[in-house]
Amino acid sequence: MPHPLMDTKPGETRLLLGNEAIVRGAIEAGIDCVTCYPGTPSSEVPDTFYRVKHAAAENADYHFEYSPNEKVALEVGGGASLAGAMTLVTMKHVGVNVAADPLCTIAYVGSPGGLVLLSADDPGCHSSQNEQDNRIYGRLAGLPVFEPATAQECKDMAKEALLFSRRTGRPVLLRTTTRVNHIRGPVVFGDVSEPARKADPKPFVKNPSKYVPIPAFARSMRLALLDHLAAVSAEAEQSPWMTERGKGDVAVVATGISRAYMNDALEMTGLGDTIRVLELGLTYPLPEKRLASLLGEVKKLLVLEEGEPVLEREIRELAKRAGLDTEVLGKMSGVGHDFEHEGGIGLPRYGEYETRVAANALQKLVDPSFTPEAPATAAEPVEGLPTRPPNLCAGCSHRALYYAVRQQFGDNAVYSSDIGCYTLGILPPLSCADFLFCMGSSISGGSGMARFDKRPVLAFIGDSTFFHSGITGLVNAVFNKHNVLLVVLDNRTTAMTGHQPNPGVDATLAGENEVKVDIEAVCRAVGVEHVRKVNPNKLNASLAALSELAELPGVKVLIAEEPCVLFARRSMGRKPTVIADVAEQGPAVDACLESLACPAFYREDSEVAVDPVQCSGCMVCAQVTKESEESGAIKARKRG
Amino acid sequence: MEKARIFLTGVGGQGTLTATNLLAQTALEQGIYVTSGEIHGMAQRGGVVVSTILLGGLKSPKIGPGEADILIGFEPLETYRGLPYLVPNGVVVSSTESVAPVAVSLGKAEYPDITIIEHAVRKVASRAILMPARSLGKKAGAIQSGNIALLAAMLATDVLPFGVDALKATIERNLNPKIVGVNLEAANLGAEAALASNA
Repeated sequence: MPHPLMDTKPGETRLLLGNEAIVRGAIEAGIDCVTCYPGTPSSEVPDTFYRVKHAAAENADYHFEYSPNEKVALEVGGGASLAGAMTLVTMKHVGVNVAADPLCTIAYVGSPGGLVLLSADDPGCHSSQNEQDNRIYGRLAGLPVFEPATAQECKDMAKEALLFSRRTGRPVLLRTTTRVNHIRGPVVFGDVSEPARKADPKPFVKNPSKYVPIPAFARSMRLALLDHLAAVSAEAEQSPWMTERGKGDVAVVATGISRAYMNDALEMTGLGDTIRVLELGLTYPLPEKRLASLLGEVKKLLVLEEGEPVLEREIRELAKRAGLDTEVLGKMSGVGHDFEHEGGIGLPRYGEYETRVAANALQKLVDPSFTPEAPATAAEPVEGLPTRPPNLCAGCSHRALYYAVRQQFGDNAVYSSDIGCYTLGILPPLSCADFLFCMGSSISGGSGMARFDKRPVLAFIGDSTFFHSGITGLVNAVFNKHNVLLVVLDNRTTAMTGHQPNPGVDATLAGENEVKVDIEAVCRAVGVEHVRKVNPNKLNASLAALSELAELPGVKVLIAEEPCVLFARRSMGRKPTVIADVAEQGPAVDACLESLACPAFYREDSEVAVDPVQCSGCMVCAQVTKESEESGAIKARKRG
Repeated sequence: MEKARIFLTGVGGQGTLTATNLLAQTALEQGIYVTSGEIHGMAQRGGVVVSTILLGGLKSPKIGPGEADILIGFEPLETYRGLPYLVPNGVVVSSTESVAPVAVSLGKAEYPDITIIEHAVRKVASRAILMPARSLGKKAGAIQSGNIALLAAMLATDVLPFGVDALKATIERNLNPKIVGVNLEAANLGAEAALASNA
């Protein structure tokens, strides 16, 4: 069955997710190669490429791969582009940190086939450990930056960014934010182009002085990059992604999703006719001449941008350089980030904006005495409502392993966590995450901790994260003789981002993975002497392995292997045959509920029951109650 | 209502996003400019899922406190939590059947009394339709179709420029033929529930 992204006719309109629209834009541009590491809010971009590729194999003529990490993704993409392939590399904002090393040099070497790096930033930390503003990477590495605001622009700008990159032979940053990635709106489809490598081949021609950045060559590459940015700057003055409208002696400049908030706010406040508006789509390098002339024609200019005051700084500097005393307002106005602070205009340097934030700033721009009123809401927030923190699923084998860990170590160990579902083990009663830095840091961070803390240190990592960058930490731990127990929670998929394959999985959407990389063999190969493997749903086996490994010095690895329960059901077709049943109420069942905290359990009046819809039949609970005197408290019964 | 902001809230795994997409698709098929957004992040299952639909040319996918004309709650506690997003005298359509958060299952937190939630909703809404959505879905043939019953109930109040028939047409055009019948039936049950609540 063809994929809707491929079988929709040009000129037709479809409701698309921003991330899906990016895929369509790339296909319309003539994409040849896509590499990625999944990460919210970017994940639907590669997932859609993957599905389109396998649903419409013949007319989806591009190479697609899930990479073990972002650095690898960008390096593969860089090589493909040198060979003439039009390439898109996708990742979330923190992934660009991992890819920063090749990024800053690929900008020198160039990308003749075209190379767009999608950075999906996450203001508000909806699913991330920080909210860094990756427009700064554009400045650091020297990449032009495109910032869409609607689903239609996601498609159009992805296409434009790829074509722009191919035309200039240099990489481009396509920067989105969560709200843009997860916006859904109408998108008018355009024509699909033949793959660029076929329509206009650009075979690699050896030229070390251009492509090999040894110091002597890197110096001239740097100059060429600066020339390129100057040329883009001149082009930016005429960019079709820049629109200007309105009249008056105050102006607003906006980018990214702030443009959506601004446009709704202008309509909401009725200020649309009294303010000059400049919307920027290509946001680096800036159209300095246009901005300078705007600055010269108004008394005050407001900059609307989420995150860091990136444009604001540049525009302030521009005004200074042009000898203009135009007042520039934004995050840097006043000392603080809200109206209570003197001179502030209510634009914070953290979190997300929304229409009201933009409306208040616009009102304040027009009338400095304006003080915003609290929004009229139907109801005040109710304090003390039970929260719904994200939780390990019912039947998740991570829960079983964490339960065993607590039995063995309790609070007398330090737990070094990593990025993945298993981070949710932070919640009591499991409480198995004491600290965390970034993807792949558990073993290395744990090693450092173990050097200076007397308690045993356990590091937890998932299979995908192990391949992402856990391996290097493990190599270091062996080499430097650290004293740490690494638990690889191998659920046979990349669960948190939506079940993407990694180099260790048994099967992908495309079929069996014939060349899977064996984690146990990797651990042994890098020099780990003590490696044990258990099925975490078998508590006794986990406890025995943990107690044995705890006594040993040096680097130890326990691999807890059991497929993610959702993946097993949805993709592997595993049908649970049994269901847990509370046969006997009493302290054993109560203790099980409190120490395992499986979400399939619930308390009704004073009785404990199991929700048959949620229960996956893992029967870990029965093993927990078996340890008690009332050994038959929870039993398995046939499903149905 | 020329422009409308609709705030939808529920629990991960309930089908909140599927329902959101279907309503947005219905609006698009009625020739109305639609912007929709979703925040799910780490809520694979059991976390709060919030989505938005903005009709009539609004560009921002985010709805701030006091901005939602319509609040659709797929779970009553989440309806309660989402109430501050409702504009005074807005419309609320909510399921009355709860999904207990883990802390409640563990006996560590108390689920608010459903009558308190209903009272809070009725106090501030110009129109409140509270219905056992999952049961209606089950009656139609599938628990998940209870979400469609909620959408239909909202459309039956004529607050939007299109009604239940438009939703049904979109269901027929876009859903797998195997589940069209169940969902059309759920739409009928939802619309009936809305009329009954008006009595």
